[in-house]
Parts: sequence; structure tokens; C-alpha cells
Amino acid sequence: MRLWVYILRRLLLIIPTLIGLTFIVFILSHVSGTNIILSEYISPKLTGAARQIVIQKLTNEFHLNQPVYIQYFYWLYQILQGNWGLTHTSIFDGQVTTAIALFLPNTIMISVVASILIWVIGVPLGVYSAVNRDSAADHTLRVGSFTLYAMPIYLIGIVLIILVGVYVKILPFSGVVSPVLVSSVPWYVNGISYPTHIILIDAIIHGAWGIAGDAFLHLILPSVTLALAIVASMIRILRSSMLEVLDQDYVRLARSKGLSERSVINLHARKNALLPVITLFGLTVAGLLGGVVVVETIFDYPGMGYWTTQALLNSDVGGIMSSTLLFGLILVFANLIVDLVYGFVDPRIRY
Amino acid sequence: MSEAELGAREWENTKLSLSVFFANKAAVVGLVIVMIYVVDALIVQLYPQLIGITSAGSLVPNFLNPAPLPPSYTHLFGTTYPGVDLFTSMIKAIRIDLFYSVLVVAIGAAVGSVIGVVSASVGGLMDEIVMRITDVFFSIPYLILALAVGFILGRSLLNMSLALAVTWWPLYARYTRSQTLSTKEFTYVEAAKASGVSKLKIMYKHILPNSLPPVFIQISLDLGSIMVIFSTLAFIGFITNASIPELGYLTSLGLNYVQTAPWAVIFPGVAITLFALAVNLVGDGLRDVIDPRRRS
Repeated sequence: MRLWVYILRRLLLIIPTLIGLTFIVFILSHVSGTNIILSEYISPKLTGAARQIVIQKLTNEFHLNQPVYIQYFYWLYQILQGNWGLTHTSIFDGQVTTAIALFLPNTIMISVVASILIWVIGVPLGVYSAVNRDSAADHTLRVGSFTLYAMPIYLIGIVLIILVGVYVKILPFSGVVSPVLVSSVPWYVNGISYPTHIILIDAIIHGAWGIAGDAFLHLILPSVTLALAIVASMIRILRSSMLEVLDQDYVRLARSKGLSERSVINLHARKNALLPVITLFGLTVAGLLGGVVVVETIFDYPGMGYWTTQALLNSDVGGIMSSTLLFGLILVFANLIVDLVYGFVDPRIRY
Repeated sequence: MSEAELGAREWENTKLSLSVFFANKAAVVGLVIVMIYVVDALIVQLYPQLIGITSAGSLVPNFLNPAPLPPSYTHLFGTTYPGVDLFTSMIKAIRIDLFYSVLVVAIGAAVGSVIGVVSASVGGLMDEIVMRITDVFFSIPYLILALAVGFILGRSLLNMSLALAVTWWPLYARYTRSQTLSTKEFTYVEAAKASGVSKLKIMYKHILPNSLPPVFIQISLDLGSIMVIFSTLAFIGFITNASIPELGYLTSLGLNYVQTAPWAVIFPGVAITLFALAVNLVGDGLRDVIDPRRRS
């Protein structure tokens, strides 16, 4: 198969997935009757006649008196128009799209930092563990990653909080910045920083280095927790994939040619062991998206995950459904990118 | 071969499997830990008074003294907010966690493997459709999907496990499907086909017995992860009934006291980790038994 045929096929395959994803979210919000979809779009403050008028208007807009499969298309149309409804939580009350614009940047920030940590920690440790197979370090790493793998992510966060935040008081573990520092800063209003909504970047833009440093310190514990939760499986998979590669004929040939062990590992083995790790990237994204929900909740970090749990606690349909949809979309496209990259890197995959 | 000879051979096989399993010390330790959890759950379920537990299904708060107390002789693991004794609560919680995790795995595995086997045997368009559906389920992070499904069903323990089963069956469907497909290619299946054995008989006599064991291992491995995720959902606020003993919920009770009472969050969290760890060790041992290539 040619590369472009593969890409085209993969792009076409995304269509049924997207339809399925949106359909699941749609069905979820419709399964308990029209009240659920209405509560996604009506402010609870609205009462009496005004409420009836809005309900009437929404019924027409979403064709709520039509069969469900027809409603789906009208709902999808509204979603594509950017009409994602309202959210009412204790941390944000208003349009879902505004909430996403506020919370998503923070989640992207923490995820990017965490994934950098995952690769920086995971790849060397996984390779080291395989190369020095059955050494003391390998055993320690295996036991460590095995334990880490079994730990619930909230326990990882709590242990870090207790160790670093409480006993060794060096890192803050709540929020994104110390409130004292930003009490009289013009670009930080009501807990929202402008223009990017990521306080670390905004502080750098405005040249407020003190705040930037503080925001950086606040970022460390949540992203390390997130990274640790995922790095364990990364090390385990990379180790076994590296062991497999080290057993291949071309590695044996390189060794028998008399190449140094270092160039055998760096030039011949590692690159090939990294191939399956590309697939891991998709897994990492899935892990990150699930992980942020817990991590952001523990650390009061105002991102998508924190908003989602707040929506759960406040029985807010808009928040739950929109974050399900958005997280799903992110994962679908992440997997698409993984498959495309894989197609470029490994010609075997195209057949 | 006579009946007796067959029986003797089976017994030899079982003996070999057992010796392979028990040669793996980590797996044995895992098995012991898992057994402790199971026994704990059974005692709390059947004879709670035996270990002095009066209300097996609920936490006993002490509002006169709600702040967490450190571990002592009266409170072996200390107490958590609101004055709940951690040790007895954890003993009660293990029953609930274990029961619902097994429920999730059982529902997910039953639904998933049936769909997987059927999909692989029928093949064609049906297979393609089933795989696309599982694709869709994999495209939503399971924690988020479970959260959304559980939210719609209503926040309760049973609905939480139903929601997890909904997110989990595609995994087993995929797994059983690929197992069935690869088993179908083996020579002994072809031999059976050539000697005129009926399709149905090949299915349950040759394909199922050989494709299900790996699925069982996957299931046993998942019991640990499921309990972890179950407790995570409870931790982030899925439990509305304030007196339910559940390990994740117990952890969340102590969260506000993390600076002064670390034991209140550590002990329930470790109880979950220990179980997940033990299950994984047992799963490793089982894999050695089933896959002869892994034995050294």
C-alpha cells in the first residue's frame, strides 16, 4: 500500500469513530429523558413563565418532539455550531465553551510537562533496565515500576504531598499560584489570568518573574504525580521491547562485527525498540486524560479534570457531557496522529 | 487410553501446573495476600460478629471526637474524619471493594467474551461492525466514560460498577476475538475440520478451551486494576451515602487532614495498592503455568 492510500484510509476510518463517539455522548444525555438535555441548556435561576418560554424555544431548536435519531442530527448541528450549552459548578458558571477556553489551557500545560517527564524518565530507565538485565538496578526498577503500576493515582499524589509538601516544606500543593502574589496584578482577575489563562506563561509575557517562579513551583507536584502514574507502564513496555530487539539477528551481527556495546545499543537497538513506544504515545494520552481528572482534583488545579469532578459533584450535565466529548475528541485525534506517524516510520504497518 | 489412564494424565498435568505456579515465590505471596482479602470479605459477609463487627455495611462515626486520632491500641490504624476507626472500616471496606470489582469483571468478561467469540466466528461485516464499536469505546478515556455513564445512571455503588462494566467489555471482546482468531488457525483445528467434526463441536471442543485460558488471565490481572479504578471513582466523589465503607472513599475522608494525619490517607490507599500488586503477581504466576515458553 502506498503511504497516501494508508493515510487516506486512516482518515476515512476516523469518521465512523467520530460519529460513534458523538452518538454515545448524545445517547448518554438523552437516556434519562428530555430533562437532561434541557438542563444542559437552561439556567437553574430561570423560573416561571420565562423558563417555559426557553423550554419551548429549545424544544423547537433541538426538535425534541421528533424521534431520537433525528434529534441526534439537530444536536450534532448545535455542537458543530459551538453551542455546547451551560455549566453550573462552584468554580465556573456560564457557557461551556467559555469554561473550556479557561480550563483546557491549564490541562494542556500540565499534560505537556508530564509527558516530557514521562519520556525523559521512562526511556533511559527502560533501556537501562533491559541492557543491564537481572542486575540489582534492573530488579529495583522492576519492583519499583510494578508497585507504582499498582498504586491508585490519588495515592501517588497523596504520598508526594506528604513527603514534599508537608514534611519537607519546599513545594506548594494547592492551586496554580500563591494568592498573595497576584492580589493586585492587573492581568489576573477573579482567579483568571490573561491572555492565555496559563498563569506561568502569562507571568512570563508580562515579565512578572516572581509570579512565574511561584507558578512553576505550583506546577511541579501535579505534573510529577501525573508522570509517575504513567511512567511505570512505559518502563515495563520499553524494557520488554528492548529485550526483544537485543535478541534480534542484526544486533548479534553488530556485536559480532566487533562494534562497541555502546554503539550497538545507541545505533542499532534503541531506535528499533522505540517503535512500539510510538504506540505507547496514544496510551500515554489516554492515561493523561484520565489522570488529570484525579490529579487536578487533589491539587485544586483549575483544569478540565477539576471542572469535570466539580460538575459531577454539582450534578451538572453540561460539564460532564462536554468534557466526555472533548476528551474523546482529543484521544481520537491523538490516536490518528500516532497511526500516521507509525505509517511514516514503519513501512510494514501499511500492509 | 482407558478412563483411569486419562485421569492419571490429567492429575500429572495439574501437578505440573501447581509446581510451576508454586515455584514462583512472588506469585505465592500474591496468592496469600489475595486469599487474606477474600477471607476477610467472607468473614465480614457471613460472621461479622466473629471479629467484633456490628454494622458490616456502614461506617461508625463518632461526632464527639471527629478529628483523626493517631494509631494506638484502641485504634490500630488510627481514626479518620468523622471519628471513624480506620482498621475496622478497612476490614468492612474490603468486602465492598472486592464484591463490586468482581461484579465489574464478571459482567464485562461475560458480555465481552461472548461478543468476541461470536464476532470472530461469524466474521465478515458483523466482525467489522463490532470492531468499529469497540474502537469508539476505546476512543473515550475509560475514567471519563465511566464517570459519564455513572453520572447518568445515578451515583451509587451498583451504578458505578455497571458504568465500569460498560467501559470494560470492549477490552475483553477484542481480546477474546484475537485469541479465537489465532486458535482457529492451528493445525489441530484444521485436522478436526478435515476429519469431519461439526462446526459447533470444533467451536466448544477445540477453540473455546484453548482461547479462554489467556482471557482468564487477563481477567485475573484486571481485578486489581478494576479495584483501583473503582476506588478512584469513589475517591473523586461518586459516593453520596456518607456511611459507606469503601477504600477510596475512606481515603477521601482523610484528605482534608493530610497535613496533620497522614495515616488517615495512607492506610486505605496502601490496602488498595497491596491488593492490586498481589493480583498482578498471581497473574504473572498463572501466565507461567499457561505459557510453557515462559518457564525457565
